[in-house]
Amino acid sequence: MKKLTRSTEFYIFLVFIALTIFIEIQSGQFFTSNNIVDMLRAMIVPGIFSIGVLMVLVSGGIDISFTAIALLSMYSATKILMIWNYEGNVIMAFIISGAIGLLLGLINASLIAFYNLPTIIVTLGTSSMFIGFMQGILHSRVISDIPKPMLEFSRAELFRVYNKELGVSSGLPVVFLILVALIIIAWFILRYTMLGRGIYALGGDRTAAERAGFNIIAIQFFIYSFVGLISGIAGMTRAIMMANVHPTNLMGMELTVIAAVVLGGTSITGGRGTITGTLLGVALITVLSNSLILMGIPTTWQKVFTGALIIIGTGLSAYQTMKEKNKVHGGMKLGKKGSKETQKNTTGSSAI
Amino acid sequence: MKKAVLLAVLFCLALGLFAATAWAKDWKIATVVKDSTNPWFIRMEEGVKEFAADTGINAFQKGPNKCDVALQVQVIEDLIAQGVDALCVVPISPPALEPVLKKAMDKGIVVVTHEASNQRNTYYDIEAFDNNAYGAFIMDNLAKAMNYEGKYVTMVAYLTSRTHNEWAEAGIARQKEKYPNMELIPEEKVESEDNQETAYERAKELMKKYPDLKGIMGTSSNDAPGAAKAIEEMGKKGKVFTAGSSIVPVAEKFLENGTLDTITFWDPAKAAYAMNVLAKMILEGREDEIKTGLNLGVEGYENMTLKGKVLVGSGWIAVTKENMAEYDWF
Repeated sequence: MKKLTRSTEFYIFLVFIALTIFIEIQSGQFFTSNNIVDMLRAMIVPGIFSIGVLMVLVSGGIDISFTAIALLSMYSATKILMIWNYEGNVIMAFIISGAIGLLLGLINASLIAFYNLPTIIVTLGTSSMFIGFMQGILHSRVISDIPKPMLEFSRAELFRVYNKELGVSSGLPVVFLILVALIIIAWFILRYTMLGRGIYALGGDRTAAERAGFNIIAIQFFIYSFVGLISGIAGMTRAIMMANVHPTNLMGMELTVIAAVVLGGTSITGGRGTITGTLLGVALITVLSNSLILMGIPTTWQKVFTGALIIIGTGLSAYQTMKEKNKVHGGMKLGKKGSKETQKNTTGSSAI
Repeated sequence: MKKAVLLAVLFCLALGLFAATAWAKDWKIATVVKDSTNPWFIRMEEGVKEFAADTGINAFQKGPNKCDVALQVQVIEDLIAQGVDALCVVPISPPALEPVLKKAMDKGIVVVTHEASNQRNTYYDIEAFDNNAYGAFIMDNLAKAMNYEGKYVTMVAYLTSRTHNEWAEAGIARQKEKYPNMELIPEEKVESEDNQETAYERAKELMKKYPDLKGIMGTSSNDAPGAAKAIEEMGKKGKVFTAGSSIVPVAEKFLENGTLDTITFWDPAKAAYAMNVLAKMILEGREDEIKTGLNLGVEGYENMTLKGKVLVGSGWIAVTKENMAEYDWF
């Protein structure tokens, strides 16, 4: 119990519950089946992105090119399917988009791993390159006549709930399963593999990780190409959910996703972060941005409200970290017990 | 020597006179756009080509290959050097083009602009429409779809997007003046971030909060299609209606399935045609005819209003399921 109340996730969870109760009181509309399905649906794309962002942040880097990768992969993959007149299984759309994303991720990975360049500079540069390539060379424009397999899959739902009172219904798209699958994969990597340990170690202290025998280049290569891959998949997911390809659709989303991941207790300087926290952060941001009207906050005040909640949320988790650090520091003087804590901190927190 | 100079001067004068009268059709009119790769301006070129075909005048379109004001200045410089008779310019940034347009006018080149009502170095600026009139027009379409009654809301990209907010406010003003049975909900203007997904999510939220909401007026091209998708998915088709400014490729699916009633926009080809007609009139010395009520012979530019140097038309188009095929030019 003590461990639970000390974790950042616990406090984010409390904020999240408080927010949902507040929305319910204000509107009486939060805990309806259709609203909950709407929230889950809205979480799909930011959720997929957040997994990649979590890995990057934990490793001590920052990637702001993932939306650009998603856009370029979804656009070119759709174009390829159109030229090919593809009519087969929709899985091919995800494979192509994911492969293009992986390739673009490899560009980031090579620049970062081999030349040891600052990740923010590299991804800022590649991000505008990818967008420029899409607009200038591919002459991107809205595609609303998407290939048949994509269009059909966009109508596929896991289930649909009805709200008789309002006379509305909401369906959860099948692509929700992609999010679930990616969460399990990422959780497994971070929790049970040497690679996952390496990611935490790299973010905690690069030199120490190197001395401990981790192959830094390989780890960074994995991280940035994995982000590329899942961004490609996220792009295709968005295209299918919207049933069109809109080349500017995801721009600007990167900062929201990074904010959500940090809100979930991931350290922006690396070494700390969990899947649970990340998902809570995404849930919090998604619910918040989709309930401002329900809460009756005037349009002019919505940004102020969102900003304030992000500051409160990140402030809480930062405060938790600070408290823990102080404890570790104080503990060191006392000897044994403290050193145990320190050790725990440098190896990083567990993935869940 | 003196004789030779005099002869040369006379020759030039004669040539000038000759060119101005007998060879009127040898005029070179260049249309300069913001970005020649942008589909909007590719469509605009159709109007220039049509004008050239209709009049036999050497009219053509040029533009930088990306939306960069320095490159646009370069394109205009090159055209001045080539000796064009008139320039029809869609400036990226009116203030940045003042020097080069002044240079052109000093050389006797006729300059006409479009979507640059604050341009000083121009003979006339053509605007497709007045923002207030356009907003009112969108409202008329929405009101009709809603059968002139019920609750409605407007959507803008951001509260800071100037034109969108002008349209939305003009739409609201029109409703208050003409449609007393319609009621604006307290949200008034909702931000869609010019993103179809956001417009979709906001529309869903609005329909949950106001089960009796009947109309959504869109201003950014993604608003009405996003709202239409929400109407479709929530099973509110026929109960909630939307109309707004958009373009056919974005909206066609929703026009087709009936969740989106009417979209409005303006045709860049018609604007280009109108600019070229105006430039030709000035070249022909018919400047005294340019006043309020001017008819440029192009749909939407038949009864223009002159305010200072700005000529305003009513060049909007309303597209429904029936006529959408004609406008699928992006």
